[in-house]
Amino acid sequence: MLKIQGLECGYGRMKVIDGVSLEIGNESVGLFGPNGAGKTTLINAVMGMNKPWKGSIELDGTSIVGFETHVMARKGVALVPQERELFPGMSVEDNLRLGAVYIPHAKDSIQEQMEAMFALFPILKERRKQLAGTMSGGQQRMVAIARALMSKPKLLILDEPSLGLQPSIVAEVFDVLKELKKTVSILVTEQNVRESLKSIDRGYVLENGKIVLEDTAKGLETNPHVLKSYLGL
Amino acid sequence: MMAPKQRTAILAGLAVIGTIALLAWKPTVVIYGLQAAGLYASIAIPMGLILGIVHIVNLAHGEIMMVASYATYFACKALGMDPLLAIIPAALVMAVFGWVLFQLTIKRALKAPELNQLILTFGIAIALSQSINLIFTSQTYKLQLDYVSSSIDIGDLSFGTWSFVFVAVAILFAYGLKYFLTKTTTGKAALAVGQNPRGAAIVGIDVNRMDALVFGLAIAMVGGMGALFLTKSAIFPSVGGPFTMKSFCLIAMAGVGNIPGILGASLLLGISENILRAFRDTRAWADIVFFVLIIVVIMSRSLKGRKS
Repeated sequence: MLKIQGLECGYGRMKVIDGVSLEIGNESVGLFGPNGAGKTTLINAVMGMNKPWKGSIELDGTSIVGFETHVMARKGVALVPQERELFPGMSVEDNLRLGAVYIPHAKDSIQEQMEAMFALFPILKERRKQLAGTMSGGQQRMVAIARALMSKPKLLILDEPSLGLQPSIVAEVFDVLKELKKTVSILVTEQNVRESLKSIDRGYVLENGKIVLEDTAKGLETNPHVLKSYLGL
Repeated sequence: MMAPKQRTAILAGLAVIGTIALLAWKPTVVIYGLQAAGLYASIAIPMGLILGIVHIVNLAHGEIMMVASYATYFACKALGMDPLLAIIPAALVMAVFGWVLFQLTIKRALKAPELNQLILTFGIAIALSQSINLIFTSQTYKLQLDYVSSSIDIGDLSFGTWSFVFVAVAILFAYGLKYFLTKTTTGKAALAVGQNPRGAAIVGIDVNRMDALVFGLAIAMVGGMGALFLTKSAIFPSVGGPFTMKSFCLIAMAGVGNIPGILGASLLLGISENILRAFRDTRAWADIVFFVLIIVVIMSRSLKGRKS
């Protein structure tokens, strides 16, 4: 589905991603690494927010380098950004509707998708009329995930979904991801390796802009580097 | 701390008492104040739309209206047409003008620092007014229209009625935009772009196209106003400048994105100006009252900010 090869990109003259190659099929893939490793930069490159300096990014065998963000969304790649990027002055319902209305393959089934989202996140049904900007951080994260899923994506990208959330909400978010991976390919970046390993099939470790490790979830769980650097064991 | 609803009720009460007192003292202050408010709001609302969604201060706003007025004037002269019939064609032509202006200039400055954006639109304003000055000189042009001088006599009171058309247009613009932005899919997408352009791109909205559409729509509105303005006023190359300043002042008073607030601020400005015009000694000060209002608003906001 998504194939990245020899990707280099950064900001100004500073190289942040240095020759990264990774692949995502019909599975759930984790991308782990410390702050500043380049996880968000990599996602921005996939979503057309950062122009790659070198390398290729392909979606279903077609190069997507140079595509704008809205084109990527219409091609079936949905992003749940770290900062959520909701429309704070609009209701939950309007936020969700906007998630699908400009997506060719999703705009005809908005109502049924919305009911599916309300089944996945019942709190959003109760608060469908509430302005998104007045909700708690955890609820906003749910709106952001639901908004992304409204577009019936082929690939769902989540950038640090647990950031700033209380532990009970983090567990809830990862439970939802476990459920979602049955129907959609997922790329999730995280610092909370312990929780996310439970919901992924495979994972990569990104450090200083380079992939230093690639393994299955089980393999990563027992890897000495992961145990020491990310699980504190 | 006073609740917002209480504060609104007190302000509304004070406004009603003030209006009754003004009507008892000099009814024309309220009547002409209302008419001026309609004109100011009709011009400021499109500027507010651009600022609220495209996030750019268009300092060429009044000059664009002036260009529309000139185009309408010469079209009406050539075709023997009433300017009222030219409102829709002027709006359509100016929508195209706005779209082209956006693609050639504004689009390139959207990610630039605000100062660069201000310099750009200020430059467009100068280019437009000086181009008109070069082509048509500084001579004034005015259409003679009978219906503009219509008036009503109520007892000793006599006042012109034509300018109430601006009040109707202001209300139409405010409620039309509210409907567009909250009830239509394209309007909601435009509002989404205004609230969070990055979020809008993530959900598949072409932000650049939406900005161009909103800019074109606002310029169409101000273009239509240019045709209507021609019915009331003489036009000359610098006629638009004060409207840019007043529109900016009204948006600053109302707060970005607050279209009903622009109506209220326009009413305050229109009535304040006409109170000063009611006295011979202060008549000349009326045109700069918006400076005083904007200073008061900014000072009260900064005091409020400091307290909170």
